[in-house]
Amino acid sequence: MLDLLAYDFMQRSLLAAAMVGGLCSVIGVFVVLRGLAFVGAGTSHAAFAGVTLGYLMGWPPLLLAIVFGLATVWITGWVEERGRMKLDVSIGILYTTTMALGILFIGLMKSYNAEVYGYLFGSVLSVTPEELSVIGALTVLVLGLLLLFSKELYFIAFDQEMAEASGVPARQIFFLLLTLVALTVVVSLKTVGAILVFAMILIPASTAYQLTHSLATLTLYSATIGIFTSITGVLISAFWDVPSGPAIVLLATTIFFIAVFFSPKRERRIRLVHSH
Amino acid sequence: MSDPREPIIRFDHASFGFPGLIALKDISLAIYEGEFIGIIGPNGSGKTTLCRAVLGLLAPVEGHLHIFDCACDELRCHHRAKIGYLPQKGVVDRNFPVTVLETVMMGRYGALGLFKRPGRKDRDIAQQALAQVGMDSHKDHSLGQLSGGQQQRVFIARALAQQPKVLILDEPTTGLDITAQHNVIELVQQLHDELKLTILLITHDINMIRSRVDRLVLLKTRLFAAAPPAEVLKPEILHQVYGKDLVITEKDLVIVEDYHHHH
Repeated sequence: MLDLLAYDFMQRSLLAAAMVGGLCSVIGVFVVLRGLAFVGAGTSHAAFAGVTLGYLMGWPPLLLAIVFGLATVWITGWVEERGRMKLDVSIGILYTTTMALGILFIGLMKSYNAEVYGYLFGSVLSVTPEELSVIGALTVLVLGLLLLFSKELYFIAFDQEMAEASGVPARQIFFLLLTLVALTVVVSLKTVGAILVFAMILIPASTAYQLTHSLATLTLYSATIGIFTSITGVLISAFWDVPSGPAIVLLATTIFFIAVFFSPKRERRIRLVHSH
Repeated sequence: MSDPREPIIRFDHASFGFPGLIALKDISLAIYEGEFIGIIGPNGSGKTTLCRAVLGLLAPVEGHLHIFDCACDELRCHHRAKIGYLPQKGVVDRNFPVTVLETVMMGRYGALGLFKRPGRKDRDIAQQALAQVGMDSHKDHSLGQLSGGQQQRVFIARALAQQPKVLILDEPTTGLDITAQHNVIELVQQLHDELKLTILLITHDINMIRSRVDRLVLLKTRLFAAAPPAEVLKPEILHQVYGKDLVITEKDLVIVEDYHHHH
């Protein structure tokens, strides 16, 4: 095991996984509490469409992933704000449209490109030093902004209208959150892939939700679970030669069900049922 | 008779809603500092719209609304922080993973502004607000573990932590048992008396508030009355709004389906 850890590629993989796991699980707290779960799924598929267009045209794939991701979340936020359409409907339309574009762009490529599929399914073991630098820079940026605006983000997750009425610039903070979700998805594409990044945003925060009644503790638990499952998932992937994305997500799912079973909230619900 | 005081909230022929769907039409109303106002009217009469306008969440489509001498669409964040708000029950997820103290601390965020972290002073203000509503011993409890009446107290404390000049309460007694309803209204009265807050209280329970408020504002898309309760609670005025004859007795208010048959 220690031999494996001496390899550069393994050290890069573990570092990338830890950063992505921590980032996804922290932003996941706000996504889960604000009810934006489906936005994460839609954004990841939109970002993948950007990657495929990048490879098709010979443009930087991550840059196009950011453009597609941001366009999707901003259109979704704008539509919800105007009250023209429910959030799940608008994101559903954009989700499928961008996925169709992604498939179209792959179809237009003249040859098979394995790197594109790496972004779809995740390939953390092949993260390059340059990609690690991009992941590191975006992780610091997103976590920094989350920390800077954490009190406002918690408030809009609790009740956006009450936050606005209390003097918090809630609308701007909501769009900031959507922007950070899009950036998080792009950061995570190479590590866990477009399909599974959604799980990394959702599962650690949902697991922590089972274990505490406090916002601060919820964030701490979620980050711990996210980092632990990502690192352990990469190690499992390396030792048993299984794909890294599924290893991380299935480990996170296992912990989620254990948390549901031992949740203090569940015990309280059972007590309430028996007392009636 | 004109009032020599300057109103802190002034509606001037203001209408609210969307073109083709006006929720409130041609409202002219002045609210003065320290007043306790009850806002009544049937469902869909525009009560919540009126309050959302005062919160700066809605601008008039016609006319003007001034709050603290500012046009409501120019209301800055620090002005909004002076208005405490208790939304209708059901608007907020009461099972949100948050402690009582964390909930009340949110009342400080608007006044603090961006980039500043809450400090010891803010924590003290939040704990004092909890003490004012009698919930200081529950500060570390989960919000979801509390009863409906206790949760309303916590939300009132959250509004008080803003150190507001105006407190808006949207149907604060809905869904509570009779004792809890009475306790919440008693608390609101006490806050008005002790802190000299301007209070706008939306309710359907006229009996519960009619002896406590300075004025009742009676709405049904238009403003039908804004006067002391004795002047508003007259059968001929109430009939116009509720479409039923209402008999006011010495102690109670009874809705009578067929007033003439009743006599």
